[in-house]
Amino acid sequence: MNLLIECKKIKRTGLFPTFFIGGILAGLFPLLDMTFRAERYRKSSQPPIEILFSADWQMMAMLNTLLIIICACFLYYGEYADHAIQKMCSLPIRESRLFLEKFMLMSFLCLFVFVIEGAAFTYCALRWFGGRMDFFPLLTGVFKNFGYCFFLMLPAGLLSLLTASACGNLWTPLGIGVICLCLATMIPVNNPWLSLFPYALPFQMLAGTRAETVIFFVTAGAVECVVILLAELLFLRVRRAFA
Amino acid sequence: MNMIETQNLSKSYSGFRAVDGISLHIPKGAVYGFLGPNGAGKSTTMKMLLGLIKPTGGSFVIDGKTYPKDRVEILKEVGSLIESPAFYGNLSGRENLEIIRRILGLSKESVTEALELVELTQHRDKPVKKYSLGMKQRLGLAEALVGRPPILLLDEPTNGLDPVGIHEIRTLIKSLPERFGATVIVSSHLLSEIELMADTVGILNHGHLLFEGTLERLKENALTWGYPSDNLEEMFLAMIEADNRQRGGVR
Repeated sequence: MNLLIECKKIKRTGLFPTFFIGGILAGLFPLLDMTFRAERYRKSSQPPIEILFSADWQMMAMLNTLLIIICACFLYYGEYADHAIQKMCSLPIRESRLFLEKFMLMSFLCLFVFVIEGAAFTYCALRWFGGRMDFFPLLTGVFKNFGYCFFLMLPAGLLSLLTASACGNLWTPLGIGVICLCLATMIPVNNPWLSLFPYALPFQMLAGTRAETVIFFVTAGAVECVVILLAELLFLRVRRAFA
Repeated sequence: MNMIETQNLSKSYSGFRAVDGISLHIPKGAVYGFLGPNGAGKSTTMKMLLGLIKPTGGSFVIDGKTYPKDRVEILKEVGSLIESPAFYGNLSGRENLEIIRRILGLSKESVTEALELVELTQHRDKPVKKYSLGMKQRLGLAEALVGRPPILLLDEPTNGLDPVGIHEIRTLIKSLPERFGATVIVSSHLLSEIELMADTVGILNHGHLLFEGTLERLKENALTWGYPSDNLEEMFLAMIEADNRQRGGVR
């Protein structure tokens, strides 16, 4: 019910079209890559999903992370622009709930993008590696891989929302987010400790990764989510105390 | 019976006392005029009553409920317009009220009623960013009135309205206790404005409550204190001036 309220709040902000276009752009990336470099990839003996992820995921993850940074900024900018947040705080709801609902909305929008990207990967795998894998195992593989990437995207989403909730000005969280994303792109994906940086986690992929590394990142992602949520709760309490 | 009572309510900001131990007694079903010059602490007090800012001292009870224990319960009963109207500019007036309606769990009719009360029905589907200042102020009032809350906190509700609008809103505020049984606290820095709406007034200066009581008692006291009592505006100014002098000329 309240998620519906959050959906209503972003009406006419262009956030839905942004995510749709973002998803299409990210989905086009493997399609174009395969169109022009299919022969090179076909020579590889790796499973199709691994080939596609290795070739395209870094670029797609960057676009996805940029989308969630923009989303977080706009979700809170709408609250701060005309003091709507003050009205919300004078209603019988908790600010922490507002944060969680925004996070849920962001996750749904992100999921929507991942579905488009997953469809693009499935199409590419069928079109260019058709003989190598049956449809259902391929679909399961795509689902698992994108599920893993989606989970590792959550800490970056939460951290972006935390920054946006702390700043009334749109440009501050946007700037912080973009700087963090640029930093994340400089971190080598095979360095597990540096990759724990929330904005670097979305660059990780399941295909071709050892089971213990996967468990390590999933655990780290879950811990980061809890820590960021607790930090937001603490921040809201402190802000209220000093208001 | 008092709907709102504060006891030594205070708010300090790094040494500066914005509100200094005020004890208000707001009767149920009355329009209470909260009067004071700019920076007197009116908005700060109202924000404390809404739980938007945390008091540094004292306590308050609203309709028998104590803050901070019953904060959410208190907010269910209070409609507010603080400082400036708050809204989502990308949404229409109706959509803004719909959000509040859903949060408060009210019927759909409550939105129509609130729009009619402030005469915004004609502009209900226009994005708020295209509203004039007066229309935004009316929307802010509608947001406070939606669902007929038993308590209304209105901070300078006639700001930005033209003379006709001021008269309409003033008449509306005055009628609220009778129509909906509401208790209204309305703040202003103009006594002339307050005397046309309020039954009881509280005068605030530099965070101190200088007077609380009916307008009749204010006039009586003014005579005793030697202030001009025939013109309320002059009396108010004289009271503020005298208080400022007492504080060493601080304005």
